[in-house]
Amino acid sequence: MIPDLAQEGAAVEKEWVPESQAPVVMFNNVGKTYGRYQAIGGISLALSGGVTGILGLNGAGKSTLFKLLMGKLRPTQGEVRLFGTNPWKNPAPYARVGYVPENENMHDWMTAFEFVSTFARLHGLTRDEAKNEAERVLEFVGLSDVMHKKIGRYSKGMRQRAKIAHALVNDPDLIILDEPLQGCDPLARTTIMNVIRELGRMGRTVLLSSHILSEIERITEQIVILHQGRLLAIGNLHAIREQLDNIPHTIEIECDDAKALARDVLNLEVVHGLQFPSSSKLKIFTHHLGEFHQRLPKIIVDNEHNVMAINNPDDDLQSILKYLTGGVR
Amino acid sequence: MSKKERGETIWTSLDRKATAIAEFTMRQYRTRLSTWVVLGVGFLAISVVLLFYIDAMNTEIEAIDNDGDSVDWDGDGYVNGQEFKYGTDPLDIDSHPGLLDPSIEPEPASMYINEDDYDWDYSDASLISTGYDDDGDCRESQLLPSAQDGNSDGTPCNIILIYNAATDTYLIYADPNVDEDPDEDRYGKEAQHRAFILGVGKLGFVFLLSIFIPLFLATGLIRDEMTSGTMQYMTAKPIARGEIFLYRMLGYLAIVWPYLLVVCSILAIVSGFMGPGDQFFRFADLGVWFSILIAALLATLVYGMLFASLGVLWKYGIILALPIAAWELGMALLSMSVPDSSFLRMSIVGWSMSIIDSAAYLVWPDMDMFTAAGAWAGGSGEASIFFGTGNALPGYRALEWAQSDIGLGMGPYATTIVSMVVLLCQAAFFWFIGQLIFKSKEIV
Repeated sequence: MIPDLAQEGAAVEKEWVPESQAPVVMFNNVGKTYGRYQAIGGISLALSGGVTGILGLNGAGKSTLFKLLMGKLRPTQGEVRLFGTNPWKNPAPYARVGYVPENENMHDWMTAFEFVSTFARLHGLTRDEAKNEAERVLEFVGLSDVMHKKIGRYSKGMRQRAKIAHALVNDPDLIILDEPLQGCDPLARTTIMNVIRELGRMGRTVLLSSHILSEIERITEQIVILHQGRLLAIGNLHAIREQLDNIPHTIEIECDDAKALARDVLNLEVVHGLQFPSSSKLKIFTHHLGEFHQRLPKIIVDNEHNVMAINNPDDDLQSILKYLTGGVR
Repeated sequence: MSKKERGETIWTSLDRKATAIAEFTMRQYRTRLSTWVVLGVGFLAISVVLLFYIDAMNTEIEAIDNDGDSVDWDGDGYVNGQEFKYGTDPLDIDSHPGLLDPSIEPEPASMYINEDDYDWDYSDASLISTGYDDDGDCRESQLLPSAQDGNSDGTPCNIILIYNAATDTYLIYADPNVDEDPDEDRYGKEAQHRAFILGVGKLGFVFLLSIFIPLFLATGLIRDEMTSGTMQYMTAKPIARGEIFLYRMLGYLAIVWPYLLVVCSILAIVSGFMGPGDQFFRFADLGVWFSILIAALLATLVYGMLFASLGVLWKYGIILALPIAAWELGMALLSMSVPDSSFLRMSIVGWSMSIIDSAAYLVWPDMDMFTAAGAWAGGSGEASIFFGTGNALPGYRALEWAQSDIGLGMGPYATTIVSMVVLLCQAAFFWFIGQLIFKSKEIV
């Protein structure tokens, strides 16, 4: 075997062709056990397009799911398909995937530019192409002014963005982000969220995991909830909430005059209880969250209430999980 | 643009991925302190040996009177050698050349030390008649002609060498007082020089550097990144794990091979200028140095593949590597004493060393005769009633230890080629095993 130095050879590279009908991501009754510990069990799921949030507490199996998808782990049962291909056997589909691992260790001795351009070359780019691409994606995540500094001197948010940049360098169709917002300051969070939303708008399939519902909520409504390695719910976040109407939801409103607001909302049929934690706070109990949220703005505008904040304090992951698993409130 | 239009072939993309990972690995090594510590310690160890060598080359080896003719047994002022020459009795104080007519002045004892050096043509291994009686104590002695031809070959005052194929040694039959007092410094320097090259090549390069550098640098080649989790980035790219293993190895070799080249060149240059002989530089020795370099390059490749595979196999792969290193040490010593042992075929070091032995055989074809001469030491090396169990010339023992025959039972060229092919096959085998293990490993 002599290298084709002149690059004239007619060797036809067998290109990997994705199955056209296959979903981007497919899990068919997938289980993964470590010894006697079951990380995930019997998950079936198919996703194509859009931004999907994988929600779950720590240890729910989010990272395991991603690692199975990226061929890092071998499923104990069932089958995993990435663009219709088994990722444990064949790394070819990664040409269309960008993966941001949860692991915080990085090559601290490199600059972000070197990091991104070096790994870009593993997609088969030339040195020059890789450099151009690296500049483009680092600009996209907002690191172009610091890209020639060592990663070891970066803040957590910058490291996270460098990881995202390295995953975008091949212009992937599927982007997998494992806890991309963890440990980031509010500014970095906002930047990263914007980047992810932008990717969604560009028509990419994005999978991201988090254990904080409010983070996911700001990015997407399409969610998958994992709990103790099982698929608990899948679909629109608010639709899931709406199905849980037999249990009252709580809405907390901060305003100038809580009593005046209370008077106005009591007229609504959907409201069945009120509480005054302080003079400027009002807690409202309702069975129909969606309907209430539809009517609330009109009440506020018509009666000229000065509202500072509207919170759904129990609309967090813990409480959703409690509802879904039938836990007692 | 499609890949075809950009002139893509399988080689261009291979080149991109291979060089990207190799360069990455190389830079990663360069940023680690441990790399420099390991390479620095290796260089220091070799430098210490080099210093001993330089010291030895600059120290005159003390001349020894191998035949004992510089002493004056009877104390009459005339040393035995002078008394033999003039036929007087060395044991009788009243018999010495001063009483002859005309009277002879006593000569200094130093004239009878190293006065009859070897006149052998080592380069002709088939030569059986050699030696010349420089000081005339055979040719001009009062001995009967029959006594002057003690080995009965018809030529008086010579030495005949007979090669004994069974023991691979030379039998030496010398006429009396021929080449009986060789120059220790001349022989010893040459022997020490060769012993240094072979010893440092075999134990210094092929054993010490070629095992310990891979042990510390290659065992973590894949493992370190699996442990720290940074392997996640590389394995998320469209590249097979077997390729990652191979290209990481290229990065390791890009550090280790130039290092070996530099260290080996330093030693070759220093010993070429410092070595004994009249020539300006010992160019012929470069052949042996080149074989040492080739052997070390191949050994670091094979050990690198092996230890990297052990690292992938188990987090504490270095513990698995240690018994292998111990086995290889045993094999290294075995190859220097029993080069044809079949155990050596189950080692890496044995094959590497036979490359050096082959080159030494080609560069120094006189080796067997040269060592035979050192062992014989003008006759005093043989067990005798006067000198006990033999006094070999200085440097002989070191050379005898460092030098060994080609153990494969083939010619030097065939041995070199076979050994290199075997080492390359070993490397390929360990790579294959290593990447199989790597493929089956889950990266958590």
